[in-house]
Amino acid sequence: MTQPVVTLSNLGMTFNAGKHNQTIALEAIDLAIQPGEFISLIGPSGCGKSTLLRLVGDLIQPTAGGVQVNGKSAQQARIDQDYGMVFQTPVLFEWRSILNNVMLPLELRGMGRSERQKRAQALLHLVELSGFEHHYPWQLSGGMQQRAAIARALAIQPKLLLMDEPFGALDEMTRERMNMELHRIWLETKTTVIFVTHSIPEAVFLSTRIVVMSARPGRILRVVDVPLTVPRGEHTREETAYFQVETEVREWLRKAKGYATHGLPE
Amino acid sequence: MLRLYEILYKHNLPIRLTMKPVQRLRKAVRQTLSFAIVIVLITLVWEGAKWLGGDPWRPENNPFGISHHPPFRWKVTSDLNLPHTWQILGAFGEPARRNGPPLIQILFAAAVYTFREAIVGFALGSALGLLLGGLLSHFRLLERGCMPYIVASQTVPILAIAPMVIIWLKAGWFSVAVIAAYLTFFPVTINTLRGLRSPDPLAVELMRSYAASAWAVLWKLRFPAALPYIFTAFKISATASVVGSIIGELPSGIRSGLGGAILNFNQYYISGPQRLWAAILASAVVGIVFYLLIALIEAYALRGRKALAESL
Repeated sequence: MTQPVVTLSNLGMTFNAGKHNQTIALEAIDLAIQPGEFISLIGPSGCGKSTLLRLVGDLIQPTAGGVQVNGKSAQQARIDQDYGMVFQTPVLFEWRSILNNVMLPLELRGMGRSERQKRAQALLHLVELSGFEHHYPWQLSGGMQQRAAIARALAIQPKLLLMDEPFGALDEMTRERMNMELHRIWLETKTTVIFVTHSIPEAVFLSTRIVVMSARPGRILRVVDVPLTVPRGEHTREETAYFQVETEVREWLRKAKGYATHGLPE
Repeated sequence: MLRLYEILYKHNLPIRLTMKPVQRLRKAVRQTLSFAIVIVLITLVWEGAKWLGGDPWRPENNPFGISHHPPFRWKVTSDLNLPHTWQILGAFGEPARRNGPPLIQILFAAAVYTFREAIVGFALGSALGLLLGGLLSHFRLLERGCMPYIVASQTVPILAIAPMVIIWLKAGWFSVAVIAAYLTFFPVTINTLRGLRSPDPLAVELMRSYAASAWAVLWKLRFPAALPYIFTAFKISATASVVGSIIGELPSGIRSGLGGAILNFNQYYISGPQRLWAAILASAVVGIVFYLLIALIEAYALRGRKALAESL
């Protein structure tokens, strides 16, 4: 087997350890993510999905266990820029045009102007924002802004894309269209994706595997395989397998919510 | 006009900002018109008050050649307290001293002199403010330690500080500029501090995910995010530095600036109140010109941003 892109071993995260407001956000997380996978993290609010993503990105450091990205420590992977990150909001810089926003990570890497401009333009083409290079973020719709954020995350051609509820703020119609586009981009770039979401249809449509988590402490309750073929499209949402996976995830989520109120059985 | 449109586009101005020439013209006309209307209204209220409760209007004293006895006699609207608008405007053309140059020439020279003090003071104060704001935003401990003194510095009246500065630096336009800087640095410090801390925490996380250096975070994120705050401070400081310069001229005995002119015409108010009013008008013009200058630079520096596009 090839080397996993992300390995989480006995990972744990406790906030305010030892204090009265101590919170165990994550506990005993074991997971290996293979190259090219699309992993969705789903679970009740407060189950530590975003925390898990931030641990992988080395934006916070774990209190137990370890994270390996491309066989390196998470910190080294961040310094080497092995991953791109997309947040819930686009976080575009309002003083930069769309093109300049996408070029930002390349600029920080010291890439030459003409080269980074070429790369950024290609990425804007990929996310179908050609023609909007010189617009400013506020002139674009929410969906378009989020697409620009995806282009920016892909600019450094990362092996790994971390997405924290990127379409959470979008309406249902836009969201479905963005799902299709993300699926296409994933297929085209062959990037490994970790995707945090609240939406079951979104998770099923996009993922190769869905990680269902329980809350407080956040644990992996179940990893559900998604046996749907690629490329997926409108027809996918009508397949029997799609409904089966959706039902399975929903059942596990119901259990996760039960545990959230009554505690996880030992 | 088409060329202007092309230039704006080339400089990355968004489509909605690059208004068509006709729209631009319309907007400019509208703005000029509303400005003129306000001036006319103020004049009407001014002269209306004098019509109701001023001193008697004599034919030789007004451009309309009319004679009028106001029904009331109010103190505030007497010719001494509130000269006629045309008397103030007329004062610009008359010599302030017998056989001297017309007042406008004196006031123009004074305005240029004061403007220079104000600009140097503004530059000194802004540089200090930016530096302090940057340092304080970086070192929280420093902020806690220094902030009380920075605030306290602004509660000491400028009139108490000015003589000391003059003693330290010798009377001259530079010591006046230092006094102006004293009024300038405070708003710049506060707003720089606020602005540098204004970025979305997610934006800071984004920079962290790029493993960006502290300098890169400052120049690519914090400073650009702070610019609107800094320009707000600059606008306050621009006018404050003019006030600081005028006040600073008084204890330093400088007679070449607007402060000197105001002091001079204040002493001879009884014989020519309109000259003091003219000097005040000249001071206002200096303040407005400085303000507009900053606003112009702001429009360039913040081009493309939403807040600016909406205010244009």
